[in-house]
Amino acid sequence: MRFHNPAAHAPPRPKVEAMSTDSAADQQAAQAAGRSARRSRDAERRIDRRSLLRGGDGPMVVFENVEKRYGKDAVGLDGVSLTIDAGEFVFLVGASGSGKSTFIRLLNREMEPSAGRVIVGGRDLGRMRRSKVPYLRRGIGCVFQDFKLLPNRTVYENVGYALEVTGDNPRSIRRKVPEILSLVGLSDKSERLPNELSGGEQQRVSIARAFVNHPRLLIADEPTGNLDPDTSIGIMQLLYRINRTGTTVIMATHDRELVDKMQMRVIALEKGKVVRDERQARYATVEP
Amino acid sequence: MGGTFRPGFFLREAIRSIRSNAAISVAATVTVMIAVFILGAVIPSFLYVQSTVDKQKDRLDMNVFISDSATNAQVQGLSDRLAQLKSDGLVESYTYISKDDALKELKGRLNNPDIIELLPSNPLPASYKVKPRDPADNPDIEAALRDSPALDDLDGGISYAKETSERLLKILKVIQIAGVALIGVLLVAAVLLIGNTIRLSIFARRREVEVMRLVGATNWFIRWPFIIEGIICGIVGAAAAIGLIWVAKIAVVDDFVANNTGSLTSDQATTIGFVWLGLILVAAGGLVGALGSGITLRRFLKV
Repeated sequence: MRFHNPAAHAPPRPKVEAMSTDSAADQQAAQAAGRSARRSRDAERRIDRRSLLRGGDGPMVVFENVEKRYGKDAVGLDGVSLTIDAGEFVFLVGASGSGKSTFIRLLNREMEPSAGRVIVGGRDLGRMRRSKVPYLRRGIGCVFQDFKLLPNRTVYENVGYALEVTGDNPRSIRRKVPEILSLVGLSDKSERLPNELSGGEQQRVSIARAFVNHPRLLIADEPTGNLDPDTSIGIMQLLYRINRTGTTVIMATHDRELVDKMQMRVIALEKGKVVRDERQARYATVEP
Repeated sequence: MGGTFRPGFFLREAIRSIRSNAAISVAATVTVMIAVFILGAVIPSFLYVQSTVDKQKDRLDMNVFISDSATNAQVQGLSDRLAQLKSDGLVESYTYISKDDALKELKGRLNNPDIIELLPSNPLPASYKVKPRDPADNPDIEAALRDSPALDDLDGGISYAKETSERLLKILKVIQIAGVALIGVLLVAAVLLIGNTIRLSIFARRREVEVMRLVGATNWFIRWPFIIEGIICGIVGAAAAIGLIWVAKIAVVDDFVANNTGSLTSDQATTIGFVWLGLILVAAGGLVGALGSGITLRRFLKV
């Protein structure tokens, strides 16, 4: 398995060459990704209005002196300032408790910072009204370690729910769901329930759900945390492919091997502070 | 926009959730059924008692009987005194009841009106039915009419329940307050009980609600299916309770009423009609279900 190493700001390429797993199914999936990308661009203007994220090539995420404290002593983030541009692929690395999850949860306003400003897609989340938060979240795909699928809905319904929420019409849902399921390689399992799938498959469903709205930002909190290394690589490829369509991807992980292979921007956190922020980097500065 | 109300989708979601949480849905429905059954038994009973007591209030009216031998002028004199009392504000109203009217009224109250036919002539006197503004003034009214020559000899010509009037008025008030309080307490207990059951159901699905919020569902988008679910459980529970009440009515109450009617007079107390009772109970069931879901869900939609 070899990963391509694109420059972080390179425009999305029409062909996804990094994904050379040379199976026919994968090629098909790559074409589906291409179609998705075109459709995504067609629909971009409309989706942006709906999701509140502003379009354009400016920064996707800006943190200004962001601080997050839990209670008296526990620190989530401690004075973090950084910028992530639209279209970037960023790894957030660090030990447990270093602030990765806090970072991720500030992005979709699951929580609010104790101090400082979080700006996503040009929107200052601190000034966003609570009633607007659902619309923000429609523009941000979320992938979690524990998948967070609805347990008594089929794969198809889980993905469809993300579209129902936006008020999408049934015809468009019937078109989009099979398309995205073929992209993640689960076309033949659309009527299964989550507990009938393997961990890797469940994570693919959750990625399909996160991407079916073609969000401009996708955040992933330890998406490979529960998966074996081979499955993790499959998930990683999927996220990379999504990034190639122009979607900004921010992924928190402590999977050293994956980060080293990908050679993407790495932001290392330690006790809530950014200790390293490098492009085309490895998990750690010193070779293990 | 996701804020739009889509009844078809929400109804499907509600039915899906009832089916996948069958045990809890049944528990909520049964809770509603029990609460509504009790309410449905208490409301007509209370209204029955209330109506019975209200009927007794009519007995506080004063009957001024006119002698069969009184002349027109004497009767006119009596009528003038009543008019005077009315303009003085002691009497609220008075009506003349002829001998024929009195007989007709008696016929109406008898279970077997044919008995009347056995009478050789009409034994009932004509009378004035006098409604006092305040039953407590009855003695004053009596004093003002006492010496009229038109009065019948029977009973001194004027009849009203002297001692009972005040007591009756007091009892009536107590029954009213007690009945309203009882129904109120039952309603509160029902809402709490049902709210608690629904809370269990929603607590079991708080993860589901969390996921819905993370994919960008608005609060109302999440809330509607739960509220519809609550309404369905409430209405089904109320309908089942009404079925039970109906069976109880047929089997016990109707029989009881039929066997205990006084031998001479039929029972004139009224209570609420079954259809009205049913409608009220179904509406109450649905409302309680909706409120229970809506209020309980608030906690999970905060963040």
